[in-house]
Amino acid sequence: MIGRRGAFALVALLLAAAPLVLGEGYYLHLMIMFAIFAIAAASLDLIVGVAGLLSLGHAAFFGLGAYTSALLFLHAGLPMFGGMLAGALVAAIAAALLGALILKVRGHRFVITTVAFAEIMRLVAYNWVDLTRGQMGLPGVLAPRIPVPGLGVIDFNTKTAFYYLALVVAGVCVFALRRIADGPAGRGFAALRENEPLAESVGISTYHHAIAAFTIGAFFAGISGSLYAHYISFVGPDLFYFSYTTLFLVMVVIGGKGTIWGPVMGAFAFTLLPELLRVADEFRLVFFGGLLIVAVLFFPRGLTAGIDHLSRRFGRAPDATVERRADA
Amino acid sequence: MIEILPQYLFNGVLVGANYALIALGLTVIFGLMNIANFAHGQFYMMGGFMAYVLTASLGIGYFPAIVIAVLVVAAAGVVLDRLIFFRLRAKPLISSVLVTIGLSILLENLALLLWGPKPEAIPSPFSKMPVVLGPIFASEARLFALGVTFATIAAVHVALRYTRWGKAVRATFQQPEAAALSGIDVDRLYAACFGIGAGLAALGGALLGSIFFVHPTMGGIATLKAFIVVILGGMGSFPGAIAGGLLLGISESLGTLVSSAYKDAIGFILVILILLYRPDGLFRRA
Repeated sequence: MIGRRGAFALVALLLAAAPLVLGEGYYLHLMIMFAIFAIAAASLDLIVGVAGLLSLGHAAFFGLGAYTSALLFLHAGLPMFGGMLAGALVAAIAAALLGALILKVRGHRFVITTVAFAEIMRLVAYNWVDLTRGQMGLPGVLAPRIPVPGLGVIDFNTKTAFYYLALVVAGVCVFALRRIADGPAGRGFAALRENEPLAESVGISTYHHAIAAFTIGAFFAGISGSLYAHYISFVGPDLFYFSYTTLFLVMVVIGGKGTIWGPVMGAFAFTLLPELLRVADEFRLVFFGGLLIVAVLFFPRGLTAGIDHLSRRFGRAPDATVERRADA
Repeated sequence: MIEILPQYLFNGVLVGANYALIALGLTVIFGLMNIANFAHGQFYMMGGFMAYVLTASLGIGYFPAIVIAVLVVAAAGVVLDRLIFFRLRAKPLISSVLVTIGLSILLENLALLLWGPKPEAIPSPFSKMPVVLGPIFASEARLFALGVTFATIAAVHVALRYTRWGKAVRATFQQPEAAALSGIDVDRLYAACFGIGAGLAALGGALLGSIFFVHPTMGGIATLKAFIVVILGGMGSFPGAIAGGLLLGISESLGTLVSSAYKDAIGFILVILILLYRPDGLFRRA
């Protein structure tokens, strides 16, 4: 039996070797998109899965990160890592302000307000032509060139180079999110999800914890958006579309919410799934919709629950850190 | 400025009444059954398309076509309730959100496959000539849509207030368990409500589709607006949905006087403001 560390090492090895197998082609592009979406999905999981706040505006923070990063690169020449930090901060500040306004009342109203916020952001990106060039978008957001001692300047303009960069960033982000979810803050978030009155009664401010979860999630969504902008080299108002939020949410729920690493698997599945569904050709999205209905109705705990089940069947003790209630 | 105001108000009332019609159904589904139906706008789209197919392709007259379109979509609503939605009733919000998003993707892309992406106009027997009512330029189609919409809203109101069925709906609204105990078949009532909600949205689509256009992707924005209206009016309040719809339509129409680019943002900003100052919406739950 390979242990948990073994499995982790194996996955890391496979991911590192991916460019050797896949080459510079379309499949490596999908792997890069997987790394970018993994951050977005894991960050949404902190809000939805861990803290139990159903945000339907995650695309807003993804888009804010992308636009901030792109604008700073184009107008101030700020390279990717600076833009990434700025994008993450702008997304986090927006979330903190919005959260302070609306998180006093949670539930349905929070859900609809997050949708409204993302739509407002899209309309601003679409209509503030002087800044964003409207629907023409902002092209020419280049990948970074980083001088490395002994290796000269690495240009991340190739898919292989950018893949490793995205993989490292995604690894750091997902690891950080998992640490936050496991730490004292994460336990506060979980308390908020499980039983608000009880959490309040033991001195946890649910309002402040809700804002914190929303802000941290948005911060990482901003990083994801910035990475996207520098990879695709173009940003447009489409980034704020509800369909991005839907995609991230699907990754979270199908992956297994509240686990952080489940949504990463969800991101993998749903970046590759459109390719697998390609046999269905023009019926692709029809199948996608149908699959979503069936998956949520009949497998509500997602992929991680399936893997738990399998590992238990093969005689391993259930992993305590994975056992989180997923039916918030 | 002041002389064009009545025209903008009229346009706002026309669109707002339509929003109210769509939102009435969502009020039932969201407020009563607690299902956040993100596929509600697709019923609106299906109504428009059925009316288009029946008139333009099958050559059925405009008025029977609208009736048939509404009945077909209402029946589809009942079937979908039996197949999918009844499973969502006891589920957490996130499940209903995801399942209905899945359904909306499915229905929208099915419509794209069947009809293609081209916007189509529903052929109607109305004259294209404007009808001048003092300072307002209207058309026969607009007046017809407005009349039917208000008549339908009034009929729904009367049915809810003064019929046995309406009493059963209101009772179930307040206390599903007690309603079931007193002999109301809650499952059948929910299915019927779902069908009626879908039918109302379909009527909205068929009426507005004969003034503007119908296209497969028109459902998404209708869903968002219906949610805005339901939240504005107060979850589960029927008068609230009607007032909320009119408020949204009129604000958007007057908003175009200020900035047509941000017209659609007005609803979203309104909803955030109202939630800040009146978290229960304009009308409390009936």
